Amino acid sequence: MRPSVEKAIISGGSLALFLGIWEYSCGRLVDPMFLSSPSRVVAAGVDLVRTGEIWPDVLVSANEFIWGYLAAVAVAIPLGLFIGWNRRAQYMVQPFIDVMNAVPRITFLPILVIWFGIGIWSKLAVVFLGAVIPVTIAAYSGVKTNEARFLRVARSFGASGFKIFTSIILPGTVPFIFTGLKYGAGRALLGVVVGELYASTAGVGHMIAEAGNTLQTDVVFVGVLIFTVTGLVINGLLDRIEKRFERWRPAGARQ
Amino acid sequence: MNGARAFYRRNERLILGLAMIALFLIFWEGLSRGWWADLLRPLIRSSADKLKIKHIFVSSPTAVAVAAWRLYVVTGEIWPHLAISGLELVAGLGSAILVGIPLGLATGRYRLLSYAVEPFMAALNATPQVAFLPLIILWMGTGYGTRVFIIFLLTIIPIFISAFAAVRTVDARLLKVAASFGASEGFLFRSVVAPGSVPFLLAGLRLAIGRAMIGIVVGELYGSAIGLGLMINRAGSTFQTDTVFVGVMTIIFAGMALTELVSRIETRVEIWRPNARDAVQ
Repeated sequence: MRPSVEKAIISGGSLALFLGIWEYSCGRLVDPMFLSSPSRVVAAGVDLVRTGEIWPDVLVSANEFIWGYLAAVAVAIPLGLFIGWNRRAQYMVQPFIDVMNAVPRITFLPILVIWFGIGIWSKLAVVFLGAVIPVTIAAYSGVKTNEARFLRVARSFGASGFKIFTSIILPGTVPFIFTGLKYGAGRALLGVVVGELYASTAGVGHMIAEAGNTLQTDVVFVGVLIFTVTGLVINGLLDRIEKRFERWRPAGARQ
Repeated sequence: MNGARAFYRRNERLILGLAMIALFLIFWEGLSRGWWADLLRPLIRSSADKLKIKHIFVSSPTAVAVAAWRLYVVTGEIWPHLAISGLELVAGLGSAILVGIPLGLATGRYRLLSYAVEPFMAALNATPQVAFLPLIILWMGTGYGTRVFIIFLLTIIPIFISAFAAVRTVDARLLKVAASFGASEGFLFRSVVAPGSVPFLLAGLRLAIGRAMIGIVVGELYGSAIGLGLMINRAGSTFQTDTVFVGVMTIIFAGMALTELVSRIETRVEIWRPNARDAVQ
């Protein structure tokens, strides 16, 4: 048997077994209120889509994720490149980045809610904070690991600072930035979930929290599943882009 | 004069860093005391009032310091919260280690098992695990168990992946040599796999600590009767911004200290296998 076939059979089999046990035990061994079951979750999902009840929540969460993440990327990449390039700027900014990196940024949520209210702005802020740190660190360490040989060659041929930056530093940094973007996306998604669980008026996280409070376990699972699929899609997408640019990584820093 | 310049050159990093922190603190203090509003009033006239920010919104470094003194020394009310959060961290992380390391090692060693386990781990890894929180509360209530479980869910992924990676990167030649000399599976594990996996496991642990902090904060923000996250949450909803900052600072220091500790141990054993750090990330 070919390994890929074997893998598909065993992976699929273990998933099917898991779903089967879950389906069987619901109502027989465990109260459906606690565990729900795959069929109920699917039914609830279909129902939410058919009535269109789910779209406003999905839209709110998508907006929070996309705009918070884009804002973080728009700030983090120039900032990371700059502090990687300019030693003094790095000395000035580094302590703040280190501190922010040491704490889960969602810890600031209560303060952000005081500042921005429980609407979309506090979520945008927490998504922004979550993603901005890993992307900045990635861009900055990308600049730092550029090969000194190239720089020396470029300098000795009289390349200007701008030329060195665009033709050596920037290309060498791209793979690092994509790695950072992947981490950042995970953090951003976490920000959406926690922000909405904590205090919100709409969003998939809000839907999960409300369904949990009203014991609609199937709806909770639908919400969790939405996040799982989103995470898988984003991860897969960025993984693929990351691999595509892997060749650009300077030889000394290949993993 | 030259001496001063040389001193600056040598300690530029420290001096610039401290200067920026000091500037930041002064800016913050001024914001809550209305210094900037007063300073800019001649220039921007009435719109300067917008710079007068209510104390409850921003607090100030001195207010935070006073609150920290009160919470840590005078009333000592932060200690029970700190103790509970610490216990939850130890229990959650401990159980994740107990389950994650054996599972990761076994999955790395046996191909068929890895096929069976991988889909679940991939799904769990892609989900922001905190989304399970309402469900876990439904199952276990708002007691310690919920937080321990959410920390477990958050931390088992990096620990599992690091154990898995450790086995997968064992030098195949070593395994072949040991096997051809008739080494048993147990012996192989003890003498080849286990020593090589330590740096990987430490790298995984470092990542896990960061995630455990997320578990503590979120688990306690969302539903809890005690703990640092609860303290932050309660202070936030009663607009005691200074207490919120004390809690945030405490978590910052705890996170930095724990990460530093693991990093120290890591550099110590790094010599055993130089690229463990990269492989896990």
